[in-house]
Amino acid sequence: MSVGAVPIESAGALQAGRQQVRRELLGQLVRSPLFVIGALVLLFWIVCAIFGTAIAPHSPYAQNLEAINKSPGGAHLFGTDGLGRDMFSRVIVGSRSILTIAPLATLLGTAAGTAIGLMMGYFRGITDDVLGRFVEAFLALPVVVTALLVTDALGRSDAIIVVAIGIVFTPLIARTVRAAVLQERELDYVAAARLRGERAPYIMFVEILPNVLAPIVVEFTVRLGYAIFAVATLSFLGLGVQLPSPDWGLEISQNYPQVSGGYWWQVLFDALAIASLVVAVNLVADSIERVLER
Amino acid sequence: MVRYILKRLGLALITLWILSVIVFFAGQVLPGDPGRSVLGPLAAASSVKALDHQLGVDQPVITQYWHWLTHFPGTSLQFQAPIGPILTGDLGRSLKLAVFAFIIVVPLGIVMGVVAALNANKPVDRLISVLGLSGTTVPEFVSGIILLLIFSIALKLLPVTATAPSGAGFFTSLKYLILPVIPLVLVLFGYIMRMARAGTIEALDSDYARTATLKGLPRALMIRRHVLRNSLLPTLTVVATQTGYLIGGLVVVETLFNYQGIGKLVVTAATNKDFPMLEAGVLTIGVVYMAVTLLADIAFSLLNPRIRLAAAE
Amino acid sequence: MIRRNRDLDRLREGRTELENHYIDELVSGQVSRRDFLRRGSMIGMSTPLLGAILAACGGSSGGGGSSSTGSGGSTTPKAGGTLRVAISQPAAAVNPLTVSDAGGLCMLNQTGEFLIFDSNEKLALQPMLATSWKHNGDGTIWTFKLRTGVTFHNGASMTADDVVWTFQQLADPKNASNALSTFTGVLIPAGVKKVDASTVEFHLEAANGNFPYLVSSDNYNAIIVPKGTDYGKWQSNFVGTGAFKLSSYTQGVGAAFVKNPNYWGTKALLDGTSFKFYTSQSPQILALQGGDVDVVGQFVPFGATSLLKNSSYKIIALKSSNHRELSMRNDMAPFNDPRVRQAVGWALDRKGMVSALLAGYGTVANDYPFGPRFPSTDTSVPARSQNIAKAKQLLAAAGHSSGISTTMKTEIYEEVPQLAQAIAADCAKAGINIKVDTEQQSAYYGKATYGNSDWLDGTMSLVDYGDRGVPNVFLEAPLTSKGPWNAAHFHNSTYDGLVKQYVAALDLSSQRQIAGKIENLLLQETPIVYPYWLDGLTASTPSVGGLNPTSIAQLYLNAAYKS
Repeated sequence: MSVGAVPIESAGALQAGRQQVRRELLGQLVRSPLFVIGALVLLFWIVCAIFGTAIAPHSPYAQNLEAINKSPGGAHLFGTDGLGRDMFSRVIVGSRSILTIAPLATLLGTAAGTAIGLMMGYFRGITDDVLGRFVEAFLALPVVVTALLVTDALGRSDAIIVVAIGIVFTPLIARTVRAAVLQERELDYVAAARLRGERAPYIMFVEILPNVLAPIVVEFTVRLGYAIFAVATLSFLGLGVQLPSPDWGLEISQNYPQVSGGYWWQVLFDALAIASLVVAVNLVADSIERVLER
Repeated sequence: MVRYILKRLGLALITLWILSVIVFFAGQVLPGDPGRSVLGPLAAASSVKALDHQLGVDQPVITQYWHWLTHFPGTSLQFQAPIGPILTGDLGRSLKLAVFAFIIVVPLGIVMGVVAALNANKPVDRLISVLGLSGTTVPEFVSGIILLLIFSIALKLLPVTATAPSGAGFFTSLKYLILPVIPLVLVLFGYIMRMARAGTIEALDSDYARTATLKGLPRALMIRRHVLRNSLLPTLTVVATQTGYLIGGLVVVETLFNYQGIGKLVVTAATNKDFPMLEAGVLTIGVVYMAVTLLADIAFSLLNPRIRLAAAE
Repeated sequence: MIRRNRDLDRLREGRTELENHYIDELVSGQVSRRDFLRRGSMIGMSTPLLGAILAACGGSSGGGGSSSTGSGGSTTPKAGGTLRVAISQPAAAVNPLTVSDAGGLCMLNQTGEFLIFDSNEKLALQPMLATSWKHNGDGTIWTFKLRTGVTFHNGASMTADDVVWTFQQLADPKNASNALSTFTGVLIPAGVKKVDASTVEFHLEAANGNFPYLVSSDNYNAIIVPKGTDYGKWQSNFVGTGAFKLSSYTQGVGAAFVKNPNYWGTKALLDGTSFKFYTSQSPQILALQGGDVDVVGQFVPFGATSLLKNSSYKIIALKSSNHRELSMRNDMAPFNDPRVRQAVGWALDRKGMVSALLAGYGTVANDYPFGPRFPSTDTSVPARSQNIAKAKQLLAAAGHSSGISTTMKTEIYEEVPQLAQAIAADCAKAGINIKVDTEQQSAYYGKATYGNSDWLDGTMSLVDYGDRGVPNVFLEAPLTSKGPWNAAHFHNSTYDGLVKQYVAALDLSSQRQIAGKIENLLLQETPIVYPYWLDGLTASTPSVGGLNPTSIAQLYLNAAYKS
């Protein structure tokens, strides 16, 4: 993305060029083994999230007070918890909340952050200064505090956690987008659009946005990893997904005191699930970043 | 340089003021009231009203904000005690934890990153990268629980809590902090190592590194003189941006290891609608965050004269 | 036989009519020995006298309500050392007027003492700063004789002035006093009167047979403080009369106490105590297992399996009246039909809940607030055990043969969310489908008034009730027409009348008789379902002995030791 080196091209040629680049990128991704592994693990969890209740051998909520704290094996592959619920089914179905909340929150943060970043970078001056102060102020707020304030004010539901994490991500993404737009706005095609008398929103969203998509996509995939991490952490702290959901972070916070009594299976599989999902998303994000920034 | 720093300080003040307004008015829409959270859900309504009046939280929001602004940091509603000593105590404990984590993770991350870069795509590189990635991907609460169960409960080698008994010496306090620090180190290590690795590879690949090699500069000297300096830059920025993140991580670690730090203070204050306490905590975090960012930017410009400070803003 | 009666006759001489009535009840077998101790101590009969009467009736005077398990072996008391205790972090300032949480009230009792101590272990009232107490015959005026020779930690001696001042502050509606919920309608500041330097009278607003409980350790705010105390600053000095005095208090971290060499009673064995504060239970249990603390002041069984399973720890279990209430809106469909409410009662597997959620440390409850902690409980009323067929039959009779769907609001507190799940799972078997909405306590309680609180407004609402020495609060606040916490919106004038009679009743047999009527009425109506009574639990390492906890999270360490 070196400044001033882009030749002026017709819009049509630019479009065709972009499509070709996209096909090439996809080809490169599929050839990367790390991407394939990451994508497969991610796909596995997505399938669990969508069809979880059909896959799970038991209902994740069905209690059996006669079969509490059963060790793994037999009818219960991953054992049972303190209420006699099947851990295997709970881990499978537990993927749903995190895989719904994390992508939606990232999407919300990316959309809001992109809009704010575009405005800051394009208008500069007073708009940039004022929005910049707000962005900085929000950046200084720890995730947990933002989440706490938002969930306390609006109640604790999955939608609210999406909003909370979205708010946290917005300034981060706005900052990245602003930096990219600052470089783009000096380019000839922007000047040309302005000369044609195009309005600012058109120039921002139709002209500039497609050209700053690469850093936005990278930012989205990286943030997705963070979001999964954040949802799990908030749930662990009791601020995220609420009972009776079999959400992984929540399961760990509920069951970890049991581990010193020997019931390790009530925590281990949830922990492995979180780790595998975050690793998978990071592998995918890394590969996309490498391909886009090559 | 001085003008730049003054300008940054001025902007930081404005940001802090905006932060205080956001937190104060966000706090107003929270359900419940301070009197109720002190007296508990079953207290008589008249007692709650009396306490609310005593605390001044039954006054208009603007009056309350003005009172807060003119009496900063003020008195905790929840604990009926001056905020200053509580805050400094908690901040001190958190800083101890954070500094300990950084002292371990920054050199470790940079050295490992450089080693990985020098052995790019060899088994050593792979091993370091995999270690870094796995550390980064495991949330603090998962690694923290595993460490607790192994080292404190099963082996009884290290204490369960992070708070050393009062009057404990320096090394005893350190012993109490070992377990809580590890989850923070694990998460930060991956990021710092990756940035150091990328920076080093880029620097090795750069024109001046090639020129230096052509000039016949010994490799070790070349790495020390050119590569290290250039790989340090992006790493520094990462360290600065991770401060905000680190504070989030502190909440988890402090909860898990029962350590009364600034993270726990802020969460407790928000839960109990203790505005003055919440404001003081959030603003302190804001000051730390902005100071670290500013220091990183200044260091950045000192290490890299090619970057103009004006462009950094 | 003859000799025994002669002993008893001698003891009867000079006793009041009421005291003799209690002795009659004991002799005729109408009350158990434990109940007798409890009732007798309440009307001011001295412990030696009670012991002598029991001895005259045969057997020992012991009436323990506690059990201690664990293979720690017997430990011998040893002087010296510092005991390390884990407790919940005080949720607010340690202010005797406003404290309302377990951590805070445990702090109060480290240096502060009450007129009377309600011993869960003995299930009886014991003299503390008051040596004796009696009423004027109808329970409207109570006179307390104070202990002499007691000094506060600041050196001043304790007199009637201090006691009068303490209770006037607690009962003053202008103060943000947490004790107002106890004293409203019972005591006003002007009703507290000094008779002489060691005698205080309480002139009550209405007759109250259980008044001694209201000034005992049950009313955890009622520690006696010096006249003129600035309550807001109390946490800087913790001035009381107890066996320990404050050494240091660090907000959010912990507190340390040292032995009081000038204590009026038996001096403490320990040199000092050190408390660590925790915001949740799990780290407390890990701290005990990891050797960071010697005692966990209070804990619940859920999530503590590792401790309860491991016989190398001492567990003290106290019978308490700590319980959960599942209220159903009696004024709203589908619960406006008593048969639907009864169906919920029959659907629950209470035994399974006690063993799974409480690890067996609790007692199955019937659907009324009388339980094993209260001697007035009429135990002849048959208990409800799980009967799904019966529940379905009741639902069908009420016109819901295809089942019903409803929602339940509940709070995140101890095992309550898991109990809500267990209730929902059991009810589903009978065709009652409950969607559980679990909320943070601040959101759940809301403003704690009708119309502004999920707790009081929810169609179904599951809440926790802490331990009380007498069932009065459980009978009045959540169930009477004018009760402030009537989440069931239960309005029944017969019931209201019975409760009024119960509160005014002075002797056990008439209390028990009214209790039986209340129990049957509530079973018939089932406005609220009571799943179980929880035990109060305290854990320690085997080397610790002499702990004296109460089921409201107080912990007296006067006789505690570490060997």
